[in-house]
Amino acid sequence: METLIATLVSGLVLGSLYALMASGLSVVWTTLGVFNFAHGALMMIGAFVAWTVSEALGLGLLTGIAAGTASAAIIGVVIERLLVRPFYGNRNMLLITVMTTLAAMIIMEKSALIIWGARLKQLPRLIEGEVSILGATISAHEAVMIMLAPLLLLALWQFTVRSTAGRSLRAVGQNQESAALIGIDVPVAFALAFGLSAALAGLTGSLLGSIRFITPVMGAEPLVKAMIVVIFGGLGSLGATAGAAYLIGFIEALLILWVGLYWTPFMLFLLMIVVLVFRPNGIFGGKE
Amino acid sequence: MSRFFEISGVSAGYGPITVLRGVSLHLEAGECIGLFGPNGHGKTTLLKTISGLIRSTSGEIAFDGNDITHARPPEIVNSGLVQSPQGNVLFGDMRVQEILELSAFSKRARPERAANLASVFELFPRLDERRNQKAKTLSGGERQMLSIGCALMCAPRLLMLDEPTLGLSPKLKQELAAAIGKIAEGGVPLILVEQDIEFLMALTDRLYLIEHGEVVREIDRANSPDHDEVMKLYFGEAMH
Repeated sequence: METLIATLVSGLVLGSLYALMASGLSVVWTTLGVFNFAHGALMMIGAFVAWTVSEALGLGLLTGIAAGTASAAIIGVVIERLLVRPFYGNRNMLLITVMTTLAAMIIMEKSALIIWGARLKQLPRLIEGEVSILGATISAHEAVMIMLAPLLLLALWQFTVRSTAGRSLRAVGQNQESAALIGIDVPVAFALAFGLSAALAGLTGSLLGSIRFITPVMGAEPLVKAMIVVIFGGLGSLGATAGAAYLIGFIEALLILWVGLYWTPFMLFLLMIVVLVFRPNGIFGGKE
Repeated sequence: MSRFFEISGVSAGYGPITVLRGVSLHLEAGECIGLFGPNGHGKTTLLKTISGLIRSTSGEIAFDGNDITHARPPEIVNSGLVQSPQGNVLFGDMRVQEILELSAFSKRARPERAANLASVFELFPRLDERRNQKAKTLSGGERQMLSIGCALMCAPRLLMLDEPTLGLSPKLKQELAAAIGKIAEGGVPLILVEQDIEFLMALTDRLYLIEHGEVVREIDRANSPDHDEVMKLYFGEAMH
């Protein structure tokens, strides 16, 4: 019983991580119809910048997290401007941007290696100490992540539903031409979507840097998991993406318990293929 | 004195395909004009070019004394030149009220949002009834009303309507004609694109016939065609 609770709690930590990553991918997808493969690398840049500001410059963890979030957002906007926007309206846009964002990922990973070196780095924790949930013990920092993730998702959802800027992103995603005809600046909406998504990735990286090692390739594994999540949840609705993120988190934790770390990625991809065969729009995806 | 709205010698198209070949037309302050002609001869392309969705390859477009030939769509909307697109689905997954509120996006329209929303709901009570429905669940007529409603939320100083009654029943058509009449009476000049000349004659002061991307005839009340002539304009002479 205790093992099961511990497993579920670790699934909750994983789910929070995947939900933050996947919701960023979802924002870009619903607005631009682009799958951003550089998303994991943006997360990594956020973690490194947070480390530099917080540890190397000694300005404190909160300043570091803010700097990591902001720098990822800026790089996200630059990626949109240089590597996505030129191909807008192109018939093969989806394929071209797969290649350009993959290129951005590689450039960022290699640059991080040159700038920060190969030595492992780690951020201090927001709160020291441990928390016990129904007998399962996790670090207080992980508990903060568990609580922060749903709040951030809720804020993101409210932003897209209530605010004019958030509504304009949804409008652009659904009908660009009509959006332009009611006065929405479509390129600005693209930049906003990319910046917002990248900021989320940077924040996630800054938080993850306290419980995992910061390395140039730290974003690769969360990106792959976030991909499985968005395929599971269907690309489009934020609620479905969040639901799928926690589901995958729990499944992964249970798989680690049952089949071990080695076979878990294999099982997850197998599950993804099965889902795609029987429900091509995802578990929570509509029938459109 | 420059005219309120004037297009001179505008050519435009899609990539290598030229659709508009030197179109010139104008609109004086307080006047409504109509555009008609066969399908696929450039009416919608002309509106898209005016709105900045398509770049013109030559010619000039001036609105209220400003050259807007190279302006971007949000700037054009903000200047008050607004297009209601042809009966399309707009933003299918958004709710009617949400879409209308969002349509007051431009800086100039934002302060008038609440007042304009009230007048749109007054003009189209059906939209008021369906304010919490998603746009994709609306009927064809309601979508058309929503499209016009969105344009009104932009606080237009010149409103372009692209075939607002396309595919609608005669009853709905009358309803929309009445609403469009009210908009014009409210002091918003119109550029109305339609197939039905009688419909156009009732609502506008002058008509332009557009064929093969060119203005081939200008019609006003003084030289308005009779029924036979209209048939000829549309279908050509019987003999060749």
